[in-house]
Amino acid sequence: MKELSRWRNWLGSRRLTLLAALVLFVVGLLVLGARLDDLKPSKGGLELAGKFLGAAFQPALGYEAADLPSTTPPFWEKVGRSLVLTLRYAVVAMSLALVGGMVFGILGSRAWWPVLNQHSPSGWVLLWVLRTVRIVVRGTATLARSVHELLWALLFLTAVGTSPLAAVLAIALPYGGTMAKVFSELLDEQDASAAGVLRSGGARSSAAFFIGVGVRTFPDLITYALYRLECAVRSSAILGFMGIPTLGYHIATAYEDGHLREIWTYLYVLLAAVIVIDQWGSLVRSRLSRPRPAREAGRAEDSVAELHRKRPRSLVLRASVVTALMAVALGWMTEKQWQSSLPAERRQANFERFLHEVVPHPVRENGNDWREFGPWLKERIWPRGMVALHRTFHIGTIAILVAGCGALMAVPFAARSLAGRDALGVPGGRERVSGLRAGAGRMLRVTALVMRSIPEYILAFLLLQVFGPTVWPLVLALALHNGGILIRLGSEVVDNRPSRAGQVLVAQGGSRRSSFLGSLLPESFNRFLLLIFYRWETCIREATVLGMLGVLSLGSLIDEANTRLFYDDMILYVLMGALLVFAGDVVSDLLRLRIKRGAIGSGGRHSF
Amino acid sequence: MKVDIQLTDAGISFGGVHALRGVNLSIAEGEQICIIGPSGSGKSTLLGLMNGRLLTETGSVEVLGQDLLQLTARQMRELRCGLVWVPQDLGLVPNLRVLQNVLCGKAGRLGFLGLLRSLLLTRMSEAEEVRSLLERLGIPEKLYERTDTLSGGQQQRVAIARALFQDPVAILADEPVASVDPGRARSLLELLTGVARDEGITLVMSLHHVELAREFFPRLVGLQAGRVVFDQSADETTDRQLRELYATGEK
Repeated sequence: MKELSRWRNWLGSRRLTLLAALVLFVVGLLVLGARLDDLKPSKGGLELAGKFLGAAFQPALGYEAADLPSTTPPFWEKVGRSLVLTLRYAVVAMSLALVGGMVFGILGSRAWWPVLNQHSPSGWVLLWVLRTVRIVVRGTATLARSVHELLWALLFLTAVGTSPLAAVLAIALPYGGTMAKVFSELLDEQDASAAGVLRSGGARSSAAFFIGVGVRTFPDLITYALYRLECAVRSSAILGFMGIPTLGYHIATAYEDGHLREIWTYLYVLLAAVIVIDQWGSLVRSRLSRPRPAREAGRAEDSVAELHRKRPRSLVLRASVVTALMAVALGWMTEKQWQSSLPAERRQANFERFLHEVVPHPVRENGNDWREFGPWLKERIWPRGMVALHRTFHIGTIAILVAGCGALMAVPFAARSLAGRDALGVPGGRERVSGLRAGAGRMLRVTALVMRSIPEYILAFLLLQVFGPTVWPLVLALALHNGGILIRLGSEVVDNRPSRAGQVLVAQGGSRRSSFLGSLLPESFNRFLLLIFYRWETCIREATVLGMLGVLSLGSLIDEANTRLFYDDMILYVLMGALLVFAGDVVSDLLRLRIKRGAIGSGGRHSF
Repeated sequence: MKVDIQLTDAGISFGGVHALRGVNLSIAEGEQICIIGPSGSGKSTLLGLMNGRLLTETGSVEVLGQDLLQLTARQMRELRCGLVWVPQDLGLVPNLRVLQNVLCGKAGRLGFLGLLRSLLLTRMSEAEEVRSLLERLGIPEKLYERTDTLSGGQQQRVAIARALFQDPVAILADEPVASVDPGRARSLLELLTGVARDEGITLVMSLHHVELAREFFPRLVGLQAGRVVFDQSADETTDRQLRELYATGEK
C-alpha cells in the first residue's frame, strides 16, 4: 500500500516531472524528425529575413505599389477599416460568448444546486436530473471549444459561404465554450460561506446563489472576459487568412505582393490594439481587486445623503462599463447585413450540398450503404491520420516544454519583486547596476508583452518563409507566444505571493538568483506546473491549425482535403483534431485537479 | 418561561462516526448560552442542528415550537427568517458595499426579486435604518465602503449589523472571536451580548476561550466527543470540570 500511495503521488515529485518532460521532449524530436541544422535558415530565407526585419523600422505609411487604379481608397482608410472590422467581429463575438458562457457556465456548475434531500425519492430524481444536465452542458461546451475558431470558420464558410455572421459565430462558439468552462470552475471553487448564511437566514437557494456566489465571482468573470476579448481580437485578425477582410487578410495579401513594409504597418496596428486591450484589462483588474479609497472620507456624523455623495467611486470602472456597452452596441448595429449577400435559396442549396458531401463518398455513391464506411475510415485513419495526429501532439508538447523552460529562466529577471533594487522588499544597499537590472527587467516584460500579442498563426506564417517548411517554425511560433504568456503569469506568481523563505535567503546575504532557486521556485513549482498544463492544452489546440500553413500534421490534412473539396475527409480530420484536443483537455484537467488537491493549499486564482 | 430551542435525544453521525449523541438541551427565550469544548467535540454540529443546516438522526429538534423534521421547505424558510447564523468567517460578500451586505439580512423576508430591488435601488428609509444600526455599532461612516476594504474588527461589526437587520428571534454564533486578539474579542462579546439583552434576542454561541465564556455567559454547556458533559450556570462551573473537559480531548 505504501508503494502504491508513493506512486500515486508521483506528480508531487519534481524530479519525476522534470524527467518525464525531458523524455517527452526527446521522443517528440525523434517523432517529428526535427534536426537542429534545419534551424539554419536557407540562403533565400536569410535574405528575406534581413529585408523583413529591416522593414520593421520603416513601416509603410502609404501604398508601396506605384501604379494603382484610381478607385483605390487612401492607405490609412484601408488600414482603419480593416482594424475596425477586426475589432467589431471580436466585440460582437465576445458579447455572444459572454452571454452563452454565463448560461452554460451556471448550468455546468454545481454551485447553483439547491440543497437536496437525497433520501426522499423526489430529491433523488432531481439530483439525477441536475447531474445529467451538468454533464450534457459541459460536454457541449468542451466540444465547442475543441474545434479551433479557424476550423469553425472553415466549416461555416464551406457550408453557407462567406458572411459576417459566420465569422462572428466561428469565434463565438469556441470562446463561449471556454467562457462556460472557466465560469463554472470559478463558481464551483468560490467560497460559499456567504450563500450559507443567506440560506440559513431563510433565503431561497436562488437568491443565496446569486448574491452569495454569483456576485463574488463577477469580478473574476469580467477580468477573464477582458482577457478573452484580447484573444478574440487576435482570432478575428487571423480569420483574415480564411478570406475575411480583417487585418490578417491584408497581411497575407501584402506578403503575396512582396510589400514587406505594409505587413509591418498592419502588424503594428494589430499589436497596438491588443496591447491597449491588455493594459485596459490589467487596469480594470487592479481596480476590481484593490479598490481605491474614496477621495473624501465619510465622517461619523454625516447623513446618508452625504455619505452617499462621498462614497468611493471608480472613474475607470464606470468609463469601462460605458465603453464596453457602447462598443457592443456599435458592433452589432454598424453591420448592415449580417447574413451573406447570397439569396436565401442559394444559401440553403449550399448548405444542403455541404450536408450531402459530408457523407463519406463510398457511402454516398453506393446509395447510403454504411457498410462502406468502415474501410473508408480505416484507410484514412491508418496510417495517415494517426501519423498526423501524433505529430500534432508532439508539436504542441515540444512547444510548451520550450516555452515553459524559457519562462522559468526568464521569470527571475522579469518579476518586479526581483528586478528592483530591493529584492523581495529587503533593502539591498546602493549598487551601480540596479538601474541596469531594472531596465533589463522592463525590457524583458515588454518583450514578453509583444511576444504574446502577436497571434501564433501569423508568427508561424512569417517564420515559415524564413526557415522553410520544417516543423521548427510551428514549434517556435507556439513557444514564443506561450513563452510570453508564461513569463507574465510566472512573474505574477512570484510577485503576488510574498515569500518568507525567499526573504530569509536574501536577508542572509543570498543573491536574487539563489533565492529564486532556493525558495521561490520550489515553493511555487506546482503553481508553475498548473500554468504549463493549462497552456499545454491550448498549445495542442493551436498545433492542429498551424499545420494548415503546410507542415504535415492534422492541419495540413484538413487544408488539403478542403482545397480538393473532399468535405468528407475534411470533417473526419477536423473531428480527429477535436478528439485530440478533447483528450488533452481531459488529461490536463485531471492533472491540474491532482496538483491542486495535492501540494497546493489555498491561494489566489489566476485570471487566465 | 417560553422555550425557544428544544433538543431531545438529538444525534448525528458522519460516515459512521458519531458527531453528537443523545443531546438534551432546552434554551429559553432571550437566554444567553455558551457551548464550550475542545476542537472536534461537536460545537459547530450542535449549532447546525439548531437552524436545520443539519437534521438530527435521532430524537427531535424543536425550534420556536416547530419540529424541524416535520417542516416543508417553505415552512423551514419562514422559520429561518427568525434565526441568524454567524459563521467563523462571517460570510460577508467581500465585493459588495457595507450597506448592501447589511441589506442581505432581509434576504429571507424579501424574496429574490425584493432582495435585488433592495440591493440595486435602495430606498432612503432602508439606508437610514442601516446607518442607525451601524451607528450603534460604531462605524456609521463606513456605510458605502466596499466591505473587503474594512479591517477584520469592522467586518465583524458589519456581520452583526446584518444579523440585527434580519430582526431575529435567535442568533447562533459559531466561534465568532476565534481569529481575533483578546481585546477585540472582549469588545465584540460585550457588543453582542449587550445587543441581544436589549432586544431580547436568544444568543447561542460556541467559544474556544473558557475565560471569555465564563465572563460573558450565565450558562455554559460543556461538550466532549459529541456528548454533553455538563449544562449549568457559569458560577457553578469549577476549574476542575473545565480542566477535565479539555484534558481528555487532547488524548
